[in-house]
Formats: sequence, structure tokens, C-alpha cells
Amino acid sequence: MERVLSAIDFLNDRLGRILSLGILLIFGLLILEVTLRYLLNSPTVWANELTQMIFGAYVVLSGGHLLWCGGHVNVDILYSRLSPRAKALTDVVTSSVFFAFCLMLLYYGGSLALESLGRWEHSQSAWNPPLYPVKLTIPLGALLVLLQGTAKLLRDILVLAGRREPQTPKPH
Amino acid sequence: MDIEVLTIVFFSALLLVLLLGLPLSFVLGGVSVVFLYFTWGPQSFYMVAAQTWGAMNKFTLVAIPLFIFMAMILERAGVAEDLYEMMYLWFGPLRGGLAIGTVAICAIFAAMCGISGAAVVSMGVIALPSMLKYNYDKELALGCINAGGSLGILIPPSVIMIIYAIISGESVGKLFAGGVVPGLLIAFLLSLYIGLRCLIQPHLGPALPKEQRGNLARKLLAIKAIILPLGVVVMVLGSMMGGITTPTESASMGVLGALISGLVHRRLTWALIKEASLRTFRLTGMIMWILFGAYCFSAAYHGMGAPGLVQDLMKHIPGGAWGSMIFIQAVLFVLGMFLDPAGIMMITAPIFLPVVKAHGFDPVWFGILFTINMEIGYMTPPFGFNLFYLKGIVPPSISMADIYRSVIPYTLVELGGLGLVMAFPALATWLPSKIF
Repeated sequence: MERVLSAIDFLNDRLGRILSLGILLIFGLLILEVTLRYLLNSPTVWANELTQMIFGAYVVLSGGHLLWCGGHVNVDILYSRLSPRAKALTDVVTSSVFFAFCLMLLYYGGSLALESLGRWEHSQSAWNPPLYPVKLTIPLGALLVLLQGTAKLLRDILVLAGRREPQTPKPH
Repeated sequence: MDIEVLTIVFFSALLLVLLLGLPLSFVLGGVSVVFLYFTWGPQSFYMVAAQTWGAMNKFTLVAIPLFIFMAMILERAGVAEDLYEMMYLWFGPLRGGLAIGTVAICAIFAAMCGISGAAVVSMGVIALPSMLKYNYDKELALGCINAGGSLGILIPPSVIMIIYAIISGESVGKLFAGGVVPGLLIAFLLSLYIGLRCLIQPHLGPALPKEQRGNLARKLLAIKAIILPLGVVVMVLGSMMGGITTPTESASMGVLGALISGLVHRRLTWALIKEASLRTFRLTGMIMWILFGAYCFSAAYHGMGAPGLVQDLMKHIPGGAWGSMIFIQAVLFVLGMFLDPAGIMMITAPIFLPVVKAHGFDPVWFGILFTINMEIGYMTPPFGFNLFYLKGIVPPSISMADIYRSVIPYTLVELGGLGLVMAFPALATWLPSKIF
């Protein structure tokens, strides 16, 4: 069990670190486009659209990493005063709300992507790239969050069952 | 169920789960999903998924990680040290001069980057120890960093304004232009407050002793510190206001400027870029996931027919249009104490905008008021972000209570600024009307 949990941590940690470099790609592509347009007077048809696709994947795949590192902002005015066990119990209760949202995103984001894949959807722009790869990142992003959320839920249950020490502050 | 009851239950459920510590994005998304299921039914979930896809495809939103990345680089690029040296030499001999200089640097930082934290962290590390060393009152010093730092979202560029533009459909350029005069006004009011306070109570911010002041040659040489920041500002705002680039492209010009500044100061390392990238990724992801949740929220809110209810309720607020406007600002002020400004904007802008438009107010002007209010939200206890940024870097002798107390007078000054922009809308609308 512990090994599965740390494997999920490892996945979201590393994936986030790799994805975070996407900002350099976004930056590079935009500068390239501005340079080509103004200095060489030959704008590309693909740079801005490719930037947009990278951005889409970059943000939607960030959810799991953020959950791992505690990066989603929350209000801890009451929560921070609870004992570790009470925190675990509260987390188990509120996880139902978390799962409602993420499962919805997985299912309906997934059907959006499958529908796009089913007709090999392209963007219909001058460049006309396929859209389904980016659309598929929505259910994938939801899946990453769900994995991390499930790991968190299991840890909370183990704490409540007295089988695990409450978590020490997360690594950054 | 009655729409009144349903709306009350909806908002109570949101508040309850939020207080139980679940992150805002999942609270908005999850609670709304449950309510959507019972109002519009599950087919509305397709709409939510489509809106998530829509958010991933808004070119303007791409500017957000770029402006954040730019701030993360500038924070460590060594620009702040040089600027502080300049302000120290020029303003130090004045009473309260170091604090006024700090506000000025914050305003310059605000013109370079679109978030609030970069200036707070930079000034907390550089200006605070210096002010304490020269016997400045610690509350005066802490407060000016807090308040100055929050200018980041009012003086363009501004991530908060980009979010407002996305929700309201107003132009980013107009909002950015609208923030210039109010931003300078508030920076001026803050400096005025510090100057007057130190004039009356000189012990709060003593003038530098004679032997610590630089000579004219050193002063003139220090002015070169302004060259790089000015270059960055021209690259970002100049390219956008001049109509050469889109806001997103001008944000990438800003990143280029920040990287050049880092190179010039020999601070740019791969480790710094990697760390800035990771922090950018986390902050951008946080904002975007709140937006995904907010789409659910917005759908649920409209699904139960609440906009009509809120408009009816607002009719009962005394004072007509202006009464509503003051009420809205009061609500935003209170929310600012507890919630993240990006979150507040995504939750309340869809609720308040129809009301504001129905009263015939200018949405750009309202956006500026909103931004000033969120700026105050960054520094008001108990949960203003700047307070925590500052707590993370101050020496242990300074407690959170010191920081909380320090913001009170500065908050009043900023509220004064908010009042002025409310009373004289031209402050916010004049520049946009000249440029666009």
C-alpha cells in the first residue's frame, strides 16, 4: 500500500517538474512569432495556435501536482486548529465533494475528448492541427488529480484507523 | 424547492465546505456539480466540460503564466537591489524617505509585473532590514511594504485585470490603461501619508545621519538603476499600448526583458530558471483550476435562476445605484480578508456585473474599483497573501501581530484612494478614452 501511495506521489511530483518547463516553450514560441512578424515580416500560421495547445495541456495537467504539493489555495481559518485526526476525518468527509467534481470532469471531459477522437477533429484554422490530443489532456488531468486525491483519502483513512502517523509537512 | 431557499442552501454549502479546508477550486466545482445535478440535470455537465476546454483555448489567459514567470525572475534578478540603492541615496535624507522610496520601488515593480508578491518579497528582503537598521518604526516599515507591494495588480500589467477581462468581455488594454492613474494616485497617497506622519512624529522614520548620505557623484551614478526597469516597462506596456503586440505577446516581451535584466546582473542561472518555472507552474495551475471550478459554479448559479434573485435583492439596498455600488465594494472588502483575489473575482464578478451594468455604470471603471479592492484584499488580515509572504521573510523578532497591526493605517489610505476613484470616475476612465 505505502509503495503504491509513494508511486503516485512520485508520478505527480516528476510530471509537474517536467511540465513546469512548458513556460519556456510558451515564451520561446511567442518571441519567435513576434520576431518573425516584425523583423522578417513573415508571421507563422502555427506559432500562436501551438502555444495555445501547450498552455492547455500545461494548466489542465497541473491539478495532480498541485494537490501533491498543497498548492491549491484553501481557507484554513478553522481547519488549521484541528488535531491531526480531526483533520483526517474532515478530509474524508469533504473528499466526497472533491470526487464529485473530478469524476464529473473525468467522465464528461472524457466524452468530449472521445467524441473529438471519433471524428479525428481538426481545428479548421490555416494550420489545421488535430485537436483530440489536447482534448484528451482534460480526462488525463482529471485522472491525475483523482489519483492524488485517492492517495490522500487512503492516507487519511489509515490515520483514522491508527495504522499511520499523521502526515508531516509536505516536501517542496 | 423555492429559488430563495435553494440559493441560500447553495451558498451555505459552499461556505461550509470551504471552512472545512477543502481547496477553493474543488469546493466551487464539487458543490456546484451536486446542485447542477438537481437543477439543470447531468446534461449540463457537458457544458461545464466544454467551458473548461474553452478556458484552455483563451489566448489572453496565456499571458497569466508569462506575467507570473516574469515576476518570479525579476524578484531574483538583482533589479531591486540597485533600485533600492538609488532610492536610499535620493530619498534617505528625508524623514520617512526610505519608506517613501520603498513605495516608489514597489510602483516600479508593479509596472513591470502583474502580481503582488514579487515586490513584497524583494522589498521585505532588501528594504526592511535597511529601514530597521536606521531606526524606522517597524510598523511603518512593514506596512509600506505590504501596501506598496499590493500596487502590483493595479498598475498594469495585472493578472487580476486579465481575469476580469475574461469574465466581463472588456478589453485588457482598456483595463490596463484604466489602472495607471489610480495606481499612481494610490502610490502618491501612500507616500503622502508616510511623509506627513514622519513630519509630525520624526522618531517613526528619522532622516539618514549626515555621514550615511552619498555625495552627488554617487547619487547621479545610482540613477542608472532605473534604466533596465524602464526598458522592461517600455517593452511590455509600450508594445501593447502601441498596438504592436497582443497582451499575451507583450507578456513574453516582458519575460525577455526580465531575463535580460537577470543576465546584466549576472544572476541568471539554470537553477533560478528552473525554480521560477516551477513556482510559475504552481501559481498558474492554482488560478486556472479555480477558474475550472468557477465555471461549474457559474453554471449552477444561473441554473437555479439566482441572478434574478440577486438583482431583486439588490433593489432593496437603500441609496439606489450608488447604494448598490458601495454595498458591492463593502462585500468585496470583507471577502478580501478571507479569500484569494483571483477566486473572489471569479465568484463575484459574474454575480455583480449584471447589477452594475443594469445601473448604467461603466464596466471598465467597475473593474478598476474591483482591482483596487482586491489590492486591499492582499494586505488585510487575517488572510491577505502579502501578510504571509512577509511573515515568511521577516526576522523572528517580528510577529504576525506586528504585521497585522501595521496594515491598518495603510488600509485606510487605500480605502481613501478607492473612495476618490469612486467619486471621480474620470480618474479611471480618462486614460483609456485617450488611448483607445
